[in-house]
Amino acid sequence: MVKMLVPYPENCTGCRFCEMACTVYHDGKVNHADARLQVHRRNVKVDFPSVCTHCVSCGEDCCVLHCPVEAIKKEDGIVRVNQDECTACGTCVEVCPFGVMRMEEKAFNCDLCGGDPTCVKFCPMKAIVYEEPKPEQYEKVKKLLKEV
Amino acid sequence: MKGYTGKILKIDLTEEKSHERTFDEGYARKYLGGQGFAVELVYHGVPKGADALGPKNVLAMAGGTFDGFPVGTGGKVAFAAKSPATGTLAESIMGGSIGPELKHAGYDALEIFGKAEKPSYLWIDDGTVEVKDASDLWGKDTREVPEILKKRHGWDVKVACIGVAGEKLSRLASIDCDDRQAGRAGLGAVMGSKNLKAIVIRGTKDLVPADPKKLLEIALRYQKIYEAAPSFVEDTKYGTGEFLGWVNKDRGVFPTRNWQEGVFNEREKIDPYYWATRYVTKNKACFACTKPCGKLFEVKSGKFAGVAIDGIEYETLYSLGGACGNSDVESVARANELCDLLGLDTISAGVTVGFAMELFQRGIITEKETGVNLAWSNASDAVPRMIEMMGNRSGFGDLLADGVKVAAQRIGKGSERYAIHTKGMEPPAYDVRGMKGHGLAYMTSTRGACHLRAGFYAPELVGKFWKWEGIDRFSAVGKGFMVSQTENFMCVYDSVGLCKFSRGFYLIAKLPEVVEAIAGLKFTEDELLKIGERIHNMKGSFNAREGVLRKDWLLPARVLEEPIPEGVSKGSKISIEEMNLMLDDYMKARGWTSDGVPTPEKLKELGIE
Repeated sequence: MVKMLVPYPENCTGCRFCEMACTVYHDGKVNHADARLQVHRRNVKVDFPSVCTHCVSCGEDCCVLHCPVEAIKKEDGIVRVNQDECTACGTCVEVCPFGVMRMEEKAFNCDLCGGDPTCVKFCPMKAIVYEEPKPEQYEKVKKLLKEV
Repeated sequence: MKGYTGKILKIDLTEEKSHERTFDEGYARKYLGGQGFAVELVYHGVPKGADALGPKNVLAMAGGTFDGFPVGTGGKVAFAAKSPATGTLAESIMGGSIGPELKHAGYDALEIFGKAEKPSYLWIDDGTVEVKDASDLWGKDTREVPEILKKRHGWDVKVACIGVAGEKLSRLASIDCDDRQAGRAGLGAVMGSKNLKAIVIRGTKDLVPADPKKLLEIALRYQKIYEAAPSFVEDTKYGTGEFLGWVNKDRGVFPTRNWQEGVFNEREKIDPYYWATRYVTKNKACFACTKPCGKLFEVKSGKFAGVAIDGIEYETLYSLGGACGNSDVESVARANELCDLLGLDTISAGVTVGFAMELFQRGIITEKETGVNLAWSNASDAVPRMIEMMGNRSGFGDLLADGVKVAAQRIGKGSERYAIHTKGMEPPAYDVRGMKGHGLAYMTSTRGACHLRAGFYAPELVGKFWKWEGIDRFSAVGKGFMVSQTENFMCVYDSVGLCKFSRGFYLIAKLPEVVEAIAGLKFTEDELLKIGERIHNMKGSFNAREGVLRKDWLLPARVLEEPIPEGVSKGSKISIEEMNLMLDDYMKARGWTSDGVPTPEKLKELGIE
């Protein structure tokens, strides 16, 4: 069974701990903009996490399809950016429907922490779960993102 | 120096100028962060006798040492100023995300002084600082303001703002961020007096911990401890009001109808065990909180349909509920929402309404003056209406908008007797007649009656805490020393930026490894407590300088003279002898004079100038 990050917006409290844990794990520092997932705390009623679905739920907006230099490929179910080929054009950041393709000098994205996602470990509310992909959950997040 | 930004931003609103002050490791070791930094800035920044609502007052804001880092419940921000409510150095702590954001913008603290010429807001975008026109925001509520500012500056900015009550200089005015409030001691009025409607921050800089691996290891360890604790389930299900029934039934210290009683006979209707399943639609958390007690409380139908708040907290269930004899939880929620939107502290505002209701009961005021039927039986209707009038300073609300002490002076006719406060601040939800050490803590709290300066309710209600067991809540003996110790404990907590609901998990002895992983600074438990002692002494020294002495700390007459009339604490009160014994013990434990003045030797020992 392929496992992915699955967001549960209804469980998210908006604490943003997952973002911090993500960047400390990957980069040894905290910077929310570099987190490979994003928490949106919109108002008293709405908080939700937006995660990289590794294009199991992207449809035609997929970063893999849009990369003009084909630097983004899906291998073993995981979307990876080839850092040598990336030209930092920003196309993938623009098209990602979840807003979680990140860019510093080159594009980068979630790597599922090698199969043991840090964000999941730190979410006590089960707002992000590592399990079989659930398209209906991805649709919920897409809908919330469109409401901005 | 890791963990800290090493910079404090000083802003002069009169001249519309700002400059950065850098600090070194010595400063961090001395004051730690958060409350420590904020208190230092006010202590050294406010001249003697300055008007709390004048341009010389300083409003300080500081993120805790842990702010911005993954430490469960460690995202608190401290505000401090000379309080318009008490005339003392007062801090107010909140869980909004503005503290971490400030650190990402490159500053550990802000020091704001002067007065803007016209309604303004501060816009801090990483390193750049602007004072901007807020004419269009004046009069707007605490949800409208961030909505407008986020549309203008981007959805990722963080906004702390005041409501109409702060603009109108109510001594009960709060500061709001993310539906969380720095409520106490009227710091919202300090913002209002400076024509400062909001502080808007965007921070995108890196925060680098000294030892990232160790930090994540600690964070994960505590995450497991939290999740295994029974309180995790209770807090996430019922919020802070979880123990409301127990405080009433098993301890009999839930101040009711303006402290006339210690048990609320209709408590079941406001108990979260009743309302959580009916009204809570979602859990909410402060920044970085992984054991959330916040609740989205929504009223879907009826007279109060449309109410949606992060609440209702235990304190508010008391102040807008029990203290006003209000057993309609929807009305409590609406009054809570009005407090949040208008920018009023729910504790002080509710206690003030309860005070007016007792005056009404006694015929000292009537509907002719108030315009509202303030009978206990009409609480459901009266409480939200009075809150709205207080926030807007309309009608009788104007008279109440500065709290019970000022209202009693205005009303006269013996109403002082029913004004429950210490140092001019209304007390929180523990009837100290049945918990005497906590009564001492209400007096010694530097910002007026407060449950969180010493947090002594927990040791007395449970009977054990930290180094002590078998604590007798009905005894005054030995409390002076214990309260002085827990005050130091809490000063450390507010400085690192941890939520006090974590204090059972992280006793001070557990903090040095966290500070080291973040900042690379080594401390022992005793060294941290020494910092706490320093912070408390600075506040004590400031207050003594402003002429607030022991004679001004005393408990209200009701606590000293009228025993709790019923329930398990029936017959208990704090006698004048007990009060004096506890105060004498406390002064000795602190090394202060019997009048409550920190001695020059004590200040020298702590390195306070």
